[in-house]
This record gives sequence, C-alpha cells and structure tokens, in this order.
Amino acid sequence: MSVTPETEDLLRRHAPQVLGALVRRYGHFDFAEDAVQEALLAAAEQWPRTGVPDNPRGWLIRVGSRRLTDALRAEEARRAREEKVAALAPRDAFTAPPPGADRAPREDDTLTLLFLSCHPDLTPPAQIALTLRAVGGLTTAEIARAYLVPEATMAQRISRAKQKVRGVRFGRPDNWENRLPAVLQTLYLIFNEGYTATSGTSLTRRELAGEAIRLTREVHRLLPDRGEVAGLLALMLLTDARREARTGPYGELVPLDEQDRDRWDKAAIDEGVDLVTRALTRGPAGPYQLRAAIAAVHDEAPSAQETDWEEILGLYDVLVRIVPGPVERLNRAVAVAMVRGPRAGLAELASLEDELGAGHRLDAVRGHLLERAGAHDEARAAYEAAAAKTLSLPEQRYLHARAARLRP
Amino acid sequence: MKYLVMVQGTQADYEAMQGKGSEGSVAWSQEDIQAMFAHMGAINDDLAESGEMIDAQGLVEPAKTRHVTLGDDGKSVITDGPYSETKELLAGYWVLDCASLERVTEIAERVLQCPQPAGAPVYPVVIRPIGEAPADIG
Repeated sequence: MSVTPETEDLLRRHAPQVLGALVRRYGHFDFAEDAVQEALLAAAEQWPRTGVPDNPRGWLIRVGSRRLTDALRAEEARRAREEKVAALAPRDAFTAPPPGADRAPREDDTLTLLFLSCHPDLTPPAQIALTLRAVGGLTTAEIARAYLVPEATMAQRISRAKQKVRGVRFGRPDNWENRLPAVLQTLYLIFNEGYTATSGTSLTRRELAGEAIRLTREVHRLLPDRGEVAGLLALMLLTDARREARTGPYGELVPLDEQDRDRWDKAAIDEGVDLVTRALTRGPAGPYQLRAAIAAVHDEAPSAQETDWEEILGLYDVLVRIVPGPVERLNRAVAVAMVRGPRAGLAELASLEDELGAGHRLDAVRGHLLERAGAHDEARAAYEAAAAKTLSLPEQRYLHARAARLRP
Repeated sequence: MKYLVMVQGTQADYEAMQGKGSEGSVAWSQEDIQAMFAHMGAINDDLAESGEMIDAQGLVEPAKTRHVTLGDDGKSVITDGPYSETKELLAGYWVLDCASLERVTEIAERVLQCPQPAGAPVYPVVIRPIGEAPADIG
C-alpha cells in the first residue's frame, strides 16, 4: 500500500512549515531537517494504513520533535557529555506540547527557508539541492535521480550544505531583497533542468519543472508586489505550456516553428499572459518579465507564420541592454533575421564568435540562418560543426537530420 | 559485493546513434533510440529501487577522448581524439552492489537484451569485480 498523489502533495506542502516550527523551537537546522525527513517517511509508511490524521501538520511536528530530541540526545551521548543533554532541548521540551502544533502555520517559513537555502556561501548546486529538500520536501533519492547523480553524492551535497548554514539565524535575513535574485535564479535552474530533460525515462526529471512552478507560485503568493517573481512564474508557465508539442512521438526534438500548437496548454498560456501583462504595468521590467513577454508573444501567435517578430525584436532590444550576455544576443540575432532577413541575422553572429564559438548553439543558429538564406552547402557544414560540439544525443540527432535534409 | 559492468562501442557506432550510418554500423532511427532508452531506463529504475545501483553513466564518443602520457623527456604529452573508427572502447558503465556474481550476471544478460537496429554489432558486456578495502581488525 502506498501514498496517494493527494497525500504526497499534502506532505510536500507541509514540509517547510514543519521544518520552520522545529527550527524556531530547537535550532539545530541540520538535525531538524533530518527529523522532518524521517517524519515524512513515517507518514508515507503509516498513513496509508491508518488514514490521514485530522491535523496532519500537528502529527508531523509531533513525530519530528520526537525524532529531533532523540537525535540530539544520541549526539550528546556520543560525546559522553550527558550533563549537557537537558540544556540542549528547551527546559519544557518533555512536558509542553510540541511547538506550533496548534497554531496556524507561519506561511512565510517557506520564504525564510528559501532564503536560507539560497545562502550566498553555498554553491548553486548546493542551493538547488537544499531548496528541493528543505522547501520542496523531496527525498534525497528523488533529487539524486532528477540530477542523475548517485544518491550518496547528493546526500553528501545536502549534508555539507546544511553544515554551512547550521549556525545561521532562522528568520528572514535583513537584506533579503538582495537574496531574492539568488532564490529566483535557483528556481529557474530547477525549472530548466526539468524542462530540458529529454532523455532518460525517470519521470522525476520532468516533475522538477512542476516542482519549480509550485514553489515559484508560493513565492508569488507571498510577495505579490514583486514584478520579477510574477515575471518568473509567467515565464515558467508560458514555457511549460509548450511541453507536449516539444518532443515528437519518439522523443525527438521539435523546434518552435514546427510545433503543433493545438498541443500547447491554453490554460497555462492564459495564466502566463495575464501575469506578465500585469507585471509589466508595475514599473521597469526586469529580465524575467522581458523573457516572459517574449514567450507570451510566441504563445499567443496562432501559427509560426503569424508570430509578431517585430515586437519580439523590440523586447530583445531592451533585454540585451539590461542583460548583456551572449545568449540573449544570440536569441536577438534570430529575431533580427526574422524581421530583416537571414543575412542581417548572420551579420549579428560575427560578434559572438569569441564568447560562444566553443559551444554548439552559435553554429546551430548559423546553420538555420544559412539554410533560410538558401546557402545549403554552408548550412550543412554549420549543422555538422554544431553536432560535433554538443554532447546531447537528441541534439546531435536533430542537427545531423537537418544537415541530411540539405544533401543535394 | 561491488561490480563494474561495462558496455562497449566504436566511434562508428556512436555516429550511427547520432543518425549517421556507415558500413559497419547501421543508422539508428528515432524509434530505435526510444526503444533503447526504454530498455535501459527500466533496468536503471529497477536497480535504483532494489538498492543495487551505486552509479551508472554513459560516456561521450571516443573522438572526444584525451590521452595523457609521458614523453621521452619525462614531460607529459597530451593527445586529443586518439581513436580508430573500428575499435570498440568503453561506452558506458554501471557500478553495482550485488549479492553475488550470479546476480550481476543476470543484470548483464538483461543489458545484453537491449533492442538495437537489425544488423547492428553486438559486443560482450564486461563484468569486473571491484576490490574491497580490508576489514577493520578487531
């Protein structure tokens, strides 16, 4: 007997609240996090038999508290300093009810944990792992499978991350606004990992995108006035809306202009368009709002031919001014080509050789534009060059196939 | 007990998987690729669930190999892409924790059953036991 999807969803939603309650009461973030994991596992094992309790969060906090105090006692016993045991746990730990079991959940514990997980002392992979564990409530095994690393490696990564933030005060950091970009970047990285996962059969990789959307939705709910959060959520929804059309019947990649738009998720597009439209009225647009606006223009076009490329180019003109990275300029070059012709787009690529020459994307775009310009021999060479530079089998197959189509 | 389980392929086999067939290695269609991923994915999912999976990786094509050797003058010599089109080299591996040689052999047999295009070359699946650290004394 195993948990239903509804119960699994319930457990994940409660996870950060339970962790917040335990850390507020006992400190010891690392032990508390382990205790929450154990409580979640216990629930997953017992609730299918006994039924979901009336107060699930209270149940999790009670079980988590017991595990936490047990673990703290065991830790002290190992150090043979038993006289300190009583001082570790709060004085009334053995008589008073567990913390927060009866009070309403502190909703911004989710945000607090997000800010904690994205602590600047942690590397991006550590931030991602800790976010998915502490805030997302995923198990180490699930996260490991999603990132295609051995479970032991992921466990170590999480453990080291927890060590680093162990002493940090639990509460929204004073300069939390400075940390918001790191939080959004982490969520975006998680989304991308899930969205671009085209190989491997593990569903967990694709569920990552859904997990990122869920967490971003939560951040948006708690910070409704932050345009960049709304922008990120819109970008995720508008991108994920195309998922079904993005791969062919055998898992092959389908480019945007060849996708069957009937398979796009209309509800997600409507929600994304609404979010970005409102976010753009709230002052100067940041990179996420702009990328979302570009995605909205694509998603609102009934066909590839009816895409308003001039509007997209206008948005890219703004985007490359505030995000001067080569990837944005590459995407802008495609828009230039669609508005002014392929040769104009190709001219834009020359300046990117230094920054992007080693990767496959520049050659791939060059191949597309040369093909549009009718220069088939050069296009074929560009596609083959790109195929030699990518390590992704689906991309290699796609590029070789495009080259093969141009054979005389 | 830990085992290394290895599968092999040539540069030509890799290119065949990318869609470029040649005399010794027929090009894979998208259906062929999907069937292969489904077969290997099911094996990996089962191994993860049984707890036998420690690691599993696919290696990139031999053309992207780098050799680091010692020259006559004692300095290191770095050579990129030393491969022949027709020599089979390591293509992927599993590190597994199995109860017995019979068990890991069973898994290797399942790997060997992986679907591939008709006429594609078949290479042995290689099993090497991994040495264990000496047990603590006392």
